[in-house]
Amino acid sequence: MLQYIVRRLLQLIPMLLGITVISFVIIQLSPGDFLAEMRLNPIVSQQTVDQMRRNFGLDQPLYVQYLKWLWNAVRLEFGYSFAFQVPVTWLIGSRLLNSVLLNVALFAAAWAVAIPLGIFGARRQYSLADNTLSFVAYVGISTPVFFSGLFLLYIAFRTGWFPIGGMTSIDYEFLPWTGKVLDVAHHMVLPVIAYGVFGGAGLMRQMRASLLEVLRQDYVRTARAKGLAERVVINKHAVRNAINPLITIFGYSLGGLLGGSAILEIVMGWPGIGKLLLEATVQKDLYVVMAALVIGSVTLVVGNLIADILLALSDPRIRYD
Amino acid sequence: MGQAGARLAVIGVLIAAVPAAGPAVAQTGRLALPDVPNPKVVEASDVGRFGGTFVVSSISDPRTFNLLVAQETSSTAPLGYLFDSLAETNRVTLDVEPNLAESWTVSRDGRTWVFRLRRGVQWFDGRPVTADDVVFTLDAAFTPGVQSSLPDVLTIAGKKIGYRKVDDYTVEFRTDQPFGPFLRTVGGIAPLPRHRLEAALRQGATEFNRAWGINTPPRDLIGNGPFVMHSYAPGQRITFVRNARYWKVDRQGQRLPYLARIVIEIVPNVDASRLKFLAKETDSYSARPREYAELRGMQQAGNFTIFDGPPTFGGDFLMFNQNPAGVRPPKLAWFQNVRFRQAVSHAVDRDTIVRQVYAGRATPRYGPESPANKFFYNPNVRQYPYDLARSEALLREAGFARGADGLLRDAQGNVVEFTIATNAGNADREAIGNLIRQDLARLGMRVTFAPEAFNTLVGKLVGTFNWEAMILGLTGTIDPHNGQNVWKSSGSLHAWWPKQERPATDWEAEIDRIFDQAATTVDQNKRRQLYHRFQEIVAEYVPLIYFATPLTQPAFRNTLANFSPAPGAFYDIETIYYRTPYR
Repeated sequence: MLQYIVRRLLQLIPMLLGITVISFVIIQLSPGDFLAEMRLNPIVSQQTVDQMRRNFGLDQPLYVQYLKWLWNAVRLEFGYSFAFQVPVTWLIGSRLLNSVLLNVALFAAAWAVAIPLGIFGARRQYSLADNTLSFVAYVGISTPVFFSGLFLLYIAFRTGWFPIGGMTSIDYEFLPWTGKVLDVAHHMVLPVIAYGVFGGAGLMRQMRASLLEVLRQDYVRTARAKGLAERVVINKHAVRNAINPLITIFGYSLGGLLGGSAILEIVMGWPGIGKLLLEATVQKDLYVVMAALVIGSVTLVVGNLIADILLALSDPRIRYD
Repeated sequence: MGQAGARLAVIGVLIAAVPAAGPAVAQTGRLALPDVPNPKVVEASDVGRFGGTFVVSSISDPRTFNLLVAQETSSTAPLGYLFDSLAETNRVTLDVEPNLAESWTVSRDGRTWVFRLRRGVQWFDGRPVTADDVVFTLDAAFTPGVQSSLPDVLTIAGKKIGYRKVDDYTVEFRTDQPFGPFLRTVGGIAPLPRHRLEAALRQGATEFNRAWGINTPPRDLIGNGPFVMHSYAPGQRITFVRNARYWKVDRQGQRLPYLARIVIEIVPNVDASRLKFLAKETDSYSARPREYAELRGMQQAGNFTIFDGPPTFGGDFLMFNQNPAGVRPPKLAWFQNVRFRQAVSHAVDRDTIVRQVYAGRATPRYGPESPANKFFYNPNVRQYPYDLARSEALLREAGFARGADGLLRDAQGNVVEFTIATNAGNADREAIGNLIRQDLARLGMRVTFAPEAFNTLVGKLVGTFNWEAMILGLTGTIDPHNGQNVWKSSGSLHAWWPKQERPATDWEAEIDRIFDQAATTVDQNKRRQLYHRFQEIVAEYVPLIYFATPLTQPAFRNTLANFSPAPGAFYDIETIYYRTPYR
């Protein structure tokens, strides 16, 4: 097992090289550069713009720029943001925790709602409750998160029960720690609904379908025939076998713990890395985009690795050695 | 001096304690603070109450807290609370008035200016603001590699401005030739604290550019303005608290500002900004033109007032590429033809643009200056009312004719077709482009309208020159001199044909002469005449076809006082206050 993990982690190296080379080249080949906005400022002269290009190293050949970036990145120095003139690690770090916080909450809510409901639906297939859940799930799946986000903001505006976006209120820094926790929780309700209800729908369908398939198998019939309690049949035998595809999804979604809810963050004004990365990409703030890509790729690979390990733990038939 | 100052300050305090005392009492004596013998008195309609938190919203995070390298509003606006400039523009009269500098003199030849700094003004850490700070700030700006646009405006005819410290409170500036926009330009300099930033500058330009980045603890940002930055939470908000050492007073001699706190809430977009304002989470909102009517109806319920604000300074325009390096002959000949451009200008239905794009909240525009620029604006330039018959006549004069198929052809029989580009995502420009395309089609032109990414557009504009027609906008400033990069034929933003060796046309040569002459003229009325002529030329030869000047429609919560419509800002941050205790 250990050997397998090491091998998987070693595979990361060529993959990251490939990802970074391709992204670096594509970003640089697309027209325009970070200084575009400045060039349109009547007060800024050509000399000033040229000087900035030199400062940023944008005047050097592409491969030199890449190799310099790579050498620094290996030493975990991701360079300075063009736009903010601060280290990229600080910039991303200043919002990373917010994103992780939100994503963990969304994740927990979506799974906590989706798995039990999926099991419930499968056990009472085609009952009124199951059909209702299916209907709600279809609405959820077909509602884009930006729409549900905006819709909930509108509700917040009409009722006044929830703050309109953001993560904290203006008095946050003057609150005691309990107040701080409650304040953030209050701000989190709407994003969690937007994602948990709407985003959890797909998971629920997945769980239901997977369990239904297992319930049709002979061993389930056998288990029931020999008189096992239904609770044991479902929880101990059926769900345990049906959960495999969901573990794969779980690992895959771990990769989204950082940037997975970028759209929701942007719509709800959550101070995560979503908006930062969107703006960096639009403005071609090169090193911010590169660092985000590296972080994103690593978390995705690690997430998948975790899923594979979990699979091996939950299903004795799976062996990697 | 110190004695007298202390005594007068006591009177100030007494007046503050007895609100019934009329303003006349205060106006008779000279106002002073214990530490500032001659504080600046800020005129406002009311003497305010102290306290309260003013909440505004911004749609982007600041990019730096280093004022010298800050370029965009999201950085300069918050820093504006922390720093004051040598002189400032009065929001009502738009005149330049003393600020950190309490007075200035200019020599008879117009080349030497002496600024006297206000005594007793302190940085947040208690150190005095002196001539050393002013000289340091200019030294930093002129250090090669420092990303400041200050050298661009302080370099006159290729020569940088001269400056030196005379004594602790006196700075002398010298220019080779008299410099027309001197006061507005030099007056706009906000000194940085030498004792805090000198070390960074000594380590070089790159280090200085990074000094006071957004990762700096707010308590290390030492300014001299009305507010001190208390905290910055990226993506969330910036909180400011009152500077208790501030050096401006109201007319009763009370130390300003009135507000206890300012909060800038960072929101994802304009819609969120609007929602927060309507939900009473923020106190001010700059409404878009088409929201004006709707928000008027919501004033009472929302407890706010929306104002019929002044026009904006900038404006959008359509331009044709006249650069031989970018367009090939048949098209180049059309675009360089004045009659062609005039015909297009007559085909722009400005009234419909005003009505449909700006919901009536705009005025048709024909020249490069906005009517907001009261001093320099010339209303009497050639106008191009919507008149397709007139357009056709002009095109006939220029040798164009319509074929049996209805398409317009030039004298050589080439069908007139071209692409208008603009930046995708700007709803106003996209709407305008569609309106124009329809009208040009009526003239028989085959026009494609193609919005594309902003970066791509700028790359074409300043790099490859590979474009035909474009709808764009540029920001404007009070002094037309700041537009020289656009209007002089050698300018890099002379977008229709940048960086010309020598002016391609007589009218461009005349604009060059006007800008050079106005730069070295100190008599502001003479400068106004020169710039009036410039506006006439641009309207006559239409290198840029302007459409409309949108109006502004600022909205403020009614709980706030001391703000009033004005051509500049609607309030001075020092004197704004809450009528009723609030927040």
